[in-house]
Amino acid sequence: MNWPAFWLSLQVTTIATICITVIGLALALLLTRVRLPGQLVIETILLLPLVLPPSVIGYYLLLALGRGSPLVEWFNVRILFTWPAAVVAATVVGLPLMIQSSRAALANVDPVLENAARTLGSSEWRIFWQITLPLARRGILAGMILGSARALGEFGATLMVTGNIPGRTQTLPVAIYDAVQAQRYADAHLMVLVMTGLAFAGLLWVRWIEPPPQRYRPEGRSEEGASDG
Amino acid sequence: MGPHLQVDIEKRLGPLTLQMQFSVAAEILVLFGPSGAGKTQTLQAIAGLMRPDRGRIALDDTLFFRREAGLRPVHLPARKRRVGYVFQQYALFPHLTALANVAFPLAGQRDARDRALALLERMRLGHLAQRMPHELSGGQQQRVAIARALAAEPRVLLFDEAFAALDRRIRERLHADLRALQAEQQLIVIYVTHNLDDAFAVGHRLAVVRDGRVEQIGQLDDVFTCPANRRVLEILGIPNAIAARVVEVTRGQTVLDWDGRLLTAPPLDLPPGAEVTAYIRPEDIRLVYPDRPLNRMLGQNLIEGQVIERRPGRHLHHLRVALSDGHLVEIAHPASSYTTLPLPPGTPVRLVLRKESIVVIAPRAATRQQEAPIYASESPDGAPEWGG
Repeated sequence: MNWPAFWLSLQVTTIATICITVIGLALALLLTRVRLPGQLVIETILLLPLVLPPSVIGYYLLLALGRGSPLVEWFNVRILFTWPAAVVAATVVGLPLMIQSSRAALANVDPVLENAARTLGSSEWRIFWQITLPLARRGILAGMILGSARALGEFGATLMVTGNIPGRTQTLPVAIYDAVQAQRYADAHLMVLVMTGLAFAGLLWVRWIEPPPQRYRPEGRSEEGASDG
Repeated sequence: MGPHLQVDIEKRLGPLTLQMQFSVAAEILVLFGPSGAGKTQTLQAIAGLMRPDRGRIALDDTLFFRREAGLRPVHLPARKRRVGYVFQQYALFPHLTALANVAFPLAGQRDARDRALALLERMRLGHLAQRMPHELSGGQQQRVAIARALAAEPRVLLFDEAFAALDRRIRERLHADLRALQAEQQLIVIYVTHNLDDAFAVGHRLAVVRDGRVEQIGQLDDVFTCPANRRVLEILGIPNAIAARVVEVTRGQTVLDWDGRLLTAPPLDLPPGAEVTAYIRPEDIRLVYPDRPLNRMLGQNLIEGQVIERRPGRHLHHLRVALSDGHLVEIAHPASSYTTLPLPPGTPVRLVLRKESIVVIAPRAATRQQEAPIYASESPDGAPEWGG
């Protein structure tokens, strides 16, 4: 078992999950609340990382993080071939899952409830935190879990932007690839088992929090009992 | 002088143009009309959930909305209007208990819990405070919603088909609650419904709405006894509208020409030749027993026809009679009358129309665009309705 790779993967995934959650929720909110020009195109672009080959994503990231990019030239942010580059790669591939899931959840919140809160004197800020977010929490949490599972499993783009430096930028999926290349199968076995276990647990969790089949019915229970009133 | 809400707005809504103009004092005003007439949109404009194209909404000196030429536009956000809104689908927050729902508008206040509980008790729901909305019946949920609206201390309370989904028994109780509340707190209440029984159960005044406009507004009884025009007749489900011409006016009566049939009606202040819209009150039409003398009926309008359909009702039985010229007349009589008179379809009958049964509602010039016969039109819920 390659422990440095395990801990690095954990670190990268944790930070990527935070980025995925914040950016993904903000984008989901934007997409549900604001009618943007070219909305369909924007949505499609945000979904692209789901279907693009990892090498293509890696290539774009090399352009974005490498020499000549605004990030390097203007802000002097040099993260290529360091572990933060793995965070960027993990965030990019995990983001679409978060956006999809939380967007559906936000759109599902009945606008009548938000209107009711408005007539009760609530600010938009309070409506978001106390009505919209709690009602969309299942979908948002599901998006977070799926996004972080995808981030944990990120391999191709990571390989291209981190340079696969053992102990410094090598994540678990890349370490597995390395172990197989070097024919260290015992090592690979264990790491594959760990990855499978984490992915399984994540998906199981998502299934667990999915809304139960019995949904909220505005009619409520059948009728008032004689005892009441 | 109590509070006063004034509404005068215009808004384009697809095929419909909303042009609502009315004012409400501390009373229950019923907005009545068919679906799609713009009633809900009017409430939304008052609550601040929808922005009209132009006009003005004001509660006493507080401008809710203003967009008028030459004046600074105003659109007070919904949260600052103190307008309570009770929705048909209750709109309770499903993740909060009944108590937390009612306490929602009181957030940050020290006695929020106690006040919320007091309001729930006022709505006879104190014992269900800890229930979640889905554990409550429809009537209970709506009472929680009313308590929650009251917690925000509204000056205006809007009911948008609020009790439409509830059983009659529960609706009656909520209507009683609402009337008591309104009187107690001197609230301005606007109650939207398409059910006439509900309108009578709660309303002080009635505004008949159609195609985005108020056709008539007034005390409930007045609107019913003096409908302003043929459209109001239609919306209120009053049958037997007729188009006639004044033939002769004397001190005691008016003679009307209804497509060649002469009818005597109460005296009118109109010159001969004037075109009028009128209706024959279905409850005021009598049947003549074929074996009894006619002398009591002298001086009344006597017409002959044939029974088309007979429909029993809870209190009144309904009879549809075709006249020789093809006009249809609806008759409503108490269930206890004419029990010895067999009236299967096809039976020839003689009708007596006392002159008071003919109510002239308007000179026809004002209603010319509406010439379609009323008999076939759909009538709103609660009004007697014939098959088609």
